[in-house]
Amino acid sequence: MARISFENVNKNYANGFHAVKDLNLEIHDKEFLVLLGPSGCGKSTTLNMIAGLEEVSDGALRFDDQMVNYVPPHKRDVAMVFQSYALYPHKTVFDNIAFGLQMRKQPKSEIERRVRDAARKLEIEHLLDRRPGQLSGGQRQRVALGRAMVRDPAVFLMDEPLSNLDAALRISMRAEIKELHEAMQTTFVYVTHDQAEALTLADRIVVMRDGEVQQIGTSDDIYERPANTFVASFLGNPPINYIDGEIEVRGEAEAVFQHPSVTLTLPPEMARKLSGAQGRRVRLGIRAEDVDERGDGAEGHLIHGTVNSVLPVGSDQFLGMEFGGAELFFRVGKGMRHKNGEAIALTVDVNRLHVFDAETGASLLYD
Amino acid sequence: MANSIETIDTNIDYRRRQRLGRLGHKAVILFGALLLAFYALAPISWLVSSSLQTEAEIVSVPPHWIPDEPTLQNFRAIFSAGEDEPVTYETRSGADPVSGGFIPSSASSLLPSMWNSTIVATLVVILNLLVGVPAAYAIAKIRYWGRNASMYFILITRVIPDIALVVPFFLVIRKLGMLDTIGSLVITYLAVTVPFTVFILVQFFEGLPDELDKAARVDGCSRFQAMVRVFLPLSLPSLVAVVLFTFLTSWNEFLLALMFTQTEASQTLPILLASFTSDFTVSFSFLNAAGVLAIVPPVIVAIIFERYIVSGLTAGAVKG
Amino acid sequence: MANTAIHKATRRSLLDRYGYEERSAVLFLAPVMLVLMSVAVFPILYSFYLSFFRMKLTRPNNQPFIWFENYSDLLTNELFWVSVSRTVVFTLISVSAIAVIALLVALLLNQEFKGRRVLSTIILIPWAIPYVANALMWKWIYDSGYGALNGALYQLDFIDKYMVWLGDQDKTLPLIANAFVWKEVPLAAILLLVSLKAIPADLYQAARVDGATVWQRFIHITLPAMKPGFMLVMIYETMMAIRHFDLFFILTEGGPGDASHVLSWHIYVETFRNLSFGSGAAMSYLLALATFALSYFFIRTLGRRI
Repeated sequence: MARISFENVNKNYANGFHAVKDLNLEIHDKEFLVLLGPSGCGKSTTLNMIAGLEEVSDGALRFDDQMVNYVPPHKRDVAMVFQSYALYPHKTVFDNIAFGLQMRKQPKSEIERRVRDAARKLEIEHLLDRRPGQLSGGQRQRVALGRAMVRDPAVFLMDEPLSNLDAALRISMRAEIKELHEAMQTTFVYVTHDQAEALTLADRIVVMRDGEVQQIGTSDDIYERPANTFVASFLGNPPINYIDGEIEVRGEAEAVFQHPSVTLTLPPEMARKLSGAQGRRVRLGIRAEDVDERGDGAEGHLIHGTVNSVLPVGSDQFLGMEFGGAELFFRVGKGMRHKNGEAIALTVDVNRLHVFDAETGASLLYD
Repeated sequence: MANSIETIDTNIDYRRRQRLGRLGHKAVILFGALLLAFYALAPISWLVSSSLQTEAEIVSVPPHWIPDEPTLQNFRAIFSAGEDEPVTYETRSGADPVSGGFIPSSASSLLPSMWNSTIVATLVVILNLLVGVPAAYAIAKIRYWGRNASMYFILITRVIPDIALVVPFFLVIRKLGMLDTIGSLVITYLAVTVPFTVFILVQFFEGLPDELDKAARVDGCSRFQAMVRVFLPLSLPSLVAVVLFTFLTSWNEFLLALMFTQTEASQTLPILLASFTSDFTVSFSFLNAAGVLAIVPPVIVAIIFERYIVSGLTAGAVKG
Repeated sequence: MANTAIHKATRRSLLDRYGYEERSAVLFLAPVMLVLMSVAVFPILYSFYLSFFRMKLTRPNNQPFIWFENYSDLLTNELFWVSVSRTVVFTLISVSAIAVIALLVALLLNQEFKGRRVLSTIILIPWAIPYVANALMWKWIYDSGYGALNGALYQLDFIDKYMVWLGDQDKTLPLIANAFVWKEVPLAAILLLVSLKAIPADLYQAARVDGATVWQRFIHITLPAMKPGFMLVMIYETMMAIRHFDLFFILTEGGPGDASHVLSWHIYVETFRNLSFGSGAAMSYLLALATFALSYFFIRTLGRRI
């Protein structure tokens, strides 16, 4: 039962690497928080600081209101699941799960009860006498979860726990982890570079890059209202498309996006937010799925180009379109067949456009 | 240009050629293996064979490679030395040094010296582990300021030649009144063994995943508990290697023991052997039997633990 | 600024500044540092200090501070330079022989054949036995009256009468080197075998497809890949040869004449027979420095590539 807060936390390594820069973050009690970002963005370092495995170089890290900067890991009430599972090779599954309780001097009968309980929930009761070397990847994953579960910790930390599993298992384990969170009623902090994992699991997502927080918000916030081009690009498959152009303000609630090959009329709400941006160089973002291939929209909602690749992906197809010297990628239904070289018009859902500053990449619509 | 397949000469019997090549390869390997076995074993076999001959047989020219009548008399003489009448100037000069099976007066020290060697080696092993394991764990797994510096420091101490330590050691040991004690050997042998111990263990600990250490710490282990309860059980193979190296190094050491020991109270086996070799009245058969006795324990150890020794040497070599 | 308030709160005491990790590292390293300081660092510094005194144990009340006189005396001491040259010759013979034999042994043990495991156990035997026993054994083999070397060569008709092997000035050093090599080859071979085994097999397959012969594969793949391991072994064996003492003590005591009067023997004689500890310390110090310089040089020039 813990609230975790980072106040101006920095992490510097001896070699000069500045892994985490001025982190301010409040993790609520019982929240499922996901740290998302590419490798080297500081997400694992942040997690390790919560565990006490990395020291905080500067700033304050608090559990509830107590500063824990210098509290070693074994004195913090945290449990952790690792990417490689890190099971003790010389101990049986039972002893692996029991170890944390033994170290905390729980009575034997209590340990026995809790280990069996966790094993039953994870359906690994029949494996308790085996050693980790005799288990499959999925089974090891469950043991690692069990080891963290029995402890009933104040904070549950997970460092890319699903990365070493194959695709099918990964999706089913995702659901189990979500259930686990609901059952345990504990704060979860989960590190991943996988956007799909983050979007399905998280109450809130923290997107990080080069040690800096890019955006904090719910799945919807992050996906629908990205704060900058980095966040917008990091989520979405295929990734968001960008067209560089200018804003032309035509009235109080009237504005268009101007590009030599296309002019898009922005909806009134957006226009209002951009009223002060007359003539501003912007980068327009169109998510791959936010177009309609029938091309029957009104003028100002259409984008024209030439098809230069068609990639069927089962339920949908990806359409590569030559536009103004660049290539845009869209996800469309399978209703219509397209040929390379075919001229095409797509209707853009202008309500779902994203507008970023061309230089800084910061969103001009949301912050 | 012709298709390359057409350039294959059909007149050559490739199959025959391949077979011949394999046969030649096998012959070379067999020859090399026999030669190597001979190189390694011949000197030792000769020593063992000599130790089983009587003094009369051993001085035959040309030598008997295989004893006519193998005898354990030389070994018996060693083990019963001291029980017999003590060797004095009279008995010595009365016997013929060439054929008389001469036992030096110091022969009765042989078994005590083996005992000394064993005690010294055991103590050195224990101290090495006590000192080396925590140091290696810290260097391998704790991120502290000066971690590289401490590794370099230990590596540098490994390079110091033992003969360079002899003069200062001698003066200090003398001042402490520790000359001719087992303690002086135990202390000084640490200089020769500890750097290597730490080095091998660091290599091994670094090979164990960091996440294992982290998991232990999150599970509630202090640094000390993580070392004892997770890393020690996993490092058994390298611990065996370390124990063996340290034991053999101490058991075999000569130079330092030569400086510090004077009497039966502290003389180790190599010292006693050396004293026999410089005594011209000692019979060859006795000398050879003593040599065999000194060789047997380390060789048995080496054969039993061959696997661990090789893996330990390998680990030690990675960054040498 | 709010920032500085937090700053103060997080840096309360010195104990906090050096956190749990640092504190445990200090505790874990304290024993080893204590031991190495007292049995390695202190003696080396102490011998440096001693080397500035004229220190004859036979004259304990007259031990003046003489600056660098012990060192400058060495420059004019003929026997010292003899010992240096003997050491160099011994090292060159030993190390080159070890290089060749160990390489052949490693190549052999890298092949798959019946009895390979037995053979690799057998070659550990010379490594395991004490140097003194090794010396005793070779002294007996080289024995002028009844030794195996004389016996074997006589029976094979290479010699027509028994020879005094170790008494021959020209043969002493090579013969001692032979005993040294016999004991050092196993370790060197095992280390070389490691670097052989580390060569990826597909490298050889690629070379075969490219049409390389066995010999070409050895020259172009095996040798370059072994270079780092090979250098390592050479460095180690050089160190061992330079400082070697045991064989000289038992086989020849520096003789005949000064034919095997190597540096380590010279230091021993100077210190424990002439009891002049000052100059003994000076020489040990030079030897230690030379060893450091040598290893530093090797690591600098080769280390980058290893």
